Amino acid sequence: MTQTQTGEALAAEGTPVIELRHVDKHFGSLHVLKDINLKVGKGEVVVVIGPSGSGKSTLCRTINRLETIDSGEVLIEGKPLPQEGKELASTRAEIGMVFQSFNLFAHRSIIDNVTMGPVEVLGVSRDKAREEGMELLRRVGVAEQAEKMPAQLSGGQQQRVAIARSLAMHPKAMLFDEPTSALDPEMINEVLDVMVELARGGMTMVVVTHEMGFARRVSDRVVFMADGAIIEEGKPDEFFEHPTTERAREFLDSIKGH
Amino acid sequence: MSISELLAEYGDMYVQALLGTWWMSLVSFAFAMLLALVITVFRVSPIKPLRVVGDLYVQIFRNIPGVSLLIILVYALPYLKIVMDYRLCVIVTVTLVASAFGSENFMSGINTIGVGQIEAARSLGMGFGKMLRLVVIPQALRSAVLPMTNLAVAVLLTTALGSQVPLSPPELTGLVSYINTRTVGGILPFVISALMYAGTAFVIGVIGNAIDKKVRIVR
Ligand SMILES: Nc1ncnc2c1ncn2[C@@H]1O[C@H](COP(=O)(O)OP(=O)(O)OP(=O)(O)O)[C@@H](O)[C@H]1O
Ligand SMILES: [Mg+2]
Repeated sequence: MTQTQTGEALAAEGTPVIELRHVDKHFGSLHVLKDINLKVGKGEVVVVIGPSGSGKSTLCRTINRLETIDSGEVLIEGKPLPQEGKELASTRAEIGMVFQSFNLFAHRSIIDNVTMGPVEVLGVSRDKAREEGMELLRRVGVAEQAEKMPAQLSGGQQQRVAIARSLAMHPKAMLFDEPTSALDPEMINEVLDVMVELARGGMTMVVVTHEMGFARRVSDRVVFMADGAIIEEGKPDEFFEHPTTERAREFLDSIKGH
Repeated sequence: MSISELLAEYGDMYVQALLGTWWMSLVSFAFAMLLALVITVFRVSPIKPLRVVGDLYVQIFRNIPGVSLLIILVYALPYLKIVMDYRLCVIVTVTLVASAFGSENFMSGINTIGVGQIEAARSLGMGFGKMLRLVVIPQALRSAVLPMTNLAVAVLLTTALGSQVPLSPPELTGLVSYINTRTVGGILPFVISALMYAGTAFVIGVIGNAIDKKVRIVR
C-alpha cells in the first residue's frame, strides 16, 4: 500500500518518466491505438491488461519506438522521443525491454549477452561490465550458467538473463511484454519473483501481463485496454474487485475462468 | 597411351594445372565472400537505393551463364578500353557469379535470426551498424558455413571456364583439351583431371564440415 502511495505521489509531482499524449496508430486500416494517454511516474509500476489483439504489445512497443506512431507524442522524462538516428538509439538504451520470447543473442554466451550492451553501446570497459554482469546474473539466480549458450538454459532462466541484460544498461524504466506467457507454469514464478524484487527496488515498470497475483502484489495501477483504447484504469484491488466497465468485467470473468 | 606415358609426358603440366585451378578458386572464392558480404549489407540496409543496387546485382549475376559473362569480359570490354589478362577475366567472372550466390546464402542465414533478436539489439540502443556487426553478421556467417562450402566446390568447378580462353599454363579442364589436341589420349586425361577436381572438392567438404561443427549455433 505504501508502495502505491509513493508511486502516485511521485507521479503527481515530478515529470513522468514515460508519458503518452493522444497517441494514435494504425496498421493499414486497423486502428490499433486510439487516443492513448498514459503517464508513468518514477518508481511506478503499471500493469497493462486486456484481451488478445487489444493493442497492449503495440502500446508497449511505441514507448521505445519499436513501433512508430501516426500522431500524438511519446515523452521520456518530459522530452519527446527522437524520431531516428543516434538520439533515438541512446534513448532506447535508457529503456529496458523484456520480450515474451526472451530474444537472447543465440551466438553469444550468457555473460556476453549481458555485457554486450554496456561494452558496445555505453563504452564500459570489458572487465567492469563483466564484474557487473556477474553480479546481475547472481541477482537473478543464473550466475552458474554464465558461460553457457542461451539454448542450453530453460525458458525461465533465459528470461531472467534477458532481464539482467536490460538491467545492465541501468535503465530509467523497463517495459515487459508478457514476460511469462511463453513459459511452462513451473517457471513463471522464478521470473515473477525477479520482477517483484525489481518493483520493490523502485524500478519504473510497464508490464503487459495477465498475472493477476503479480498485479495485485506490486503494481500501483492497472490499465485495461480493449480495441486499441484504454477503457479503464485503477488501483489493482479496486480494478479486480470492482471493475466499473462492462468490458472489463467480461474480461476478468473470462480469465478467472481458467 | 598408357597412364605412365601420359604422366611422364604431361605430369608437370598436371601439377601446374592443379595449382592454377587451386589458385583461381582460392582467389575467386575469397573475393566472392567479401563482395557477397558487402552486397548483403546493401540488401538489408535502411537506404532504399542501396537495397535496389544489391538486389539488382544478385539478379544479374545469378541469372546469366558464366560463359556469357566471360565472353563479355574478354571480347566486349576491350571496346571500352578495358583489357584484362585472360586469367583475370576468368577470376572476375567466377567472383561475380559466386558473390551473387554467396549473398543469397548470407540472406537465408539472416532470415534464420528472427526479428526478435534484432528488436532486442535495437532496444539495447544499438544502431544499424552495431546491430549488423554484433548480432546479424556473426550469426549469418555461422549458419552460412555449409552452403558456402557447397559454393566453394561450385567455384572450383566453375574455374573450368578457363578452358574457354587461352591460358598458359592451362587449368585442369583446359589441359584435357590441350592433351587431346596433341595426342590420342582417350578418356584417360579427363579421368585424371576429374580425380583432381573430386579430390579437391572432398577436402573442401571436410574443411567446411569441420568449421561448421565448430561454429554452429545451438538453437
Ligand atoms: N506488424 C503488424 N502489422 C499488422 N497488424 C498488426 C501488427 N502487429 C499487430 N497487429 C495487429 O494489431 C492489433 C493489436 O496487436 P497487439 O499485438 O498490440 O495486441 P495485444 O494486445 O498485444 O494482443 P496479445 O494479447 O495477443 O499479445 C492486432 O489486431 C494485431 O493483429
Ligand atoms: Mg501482445
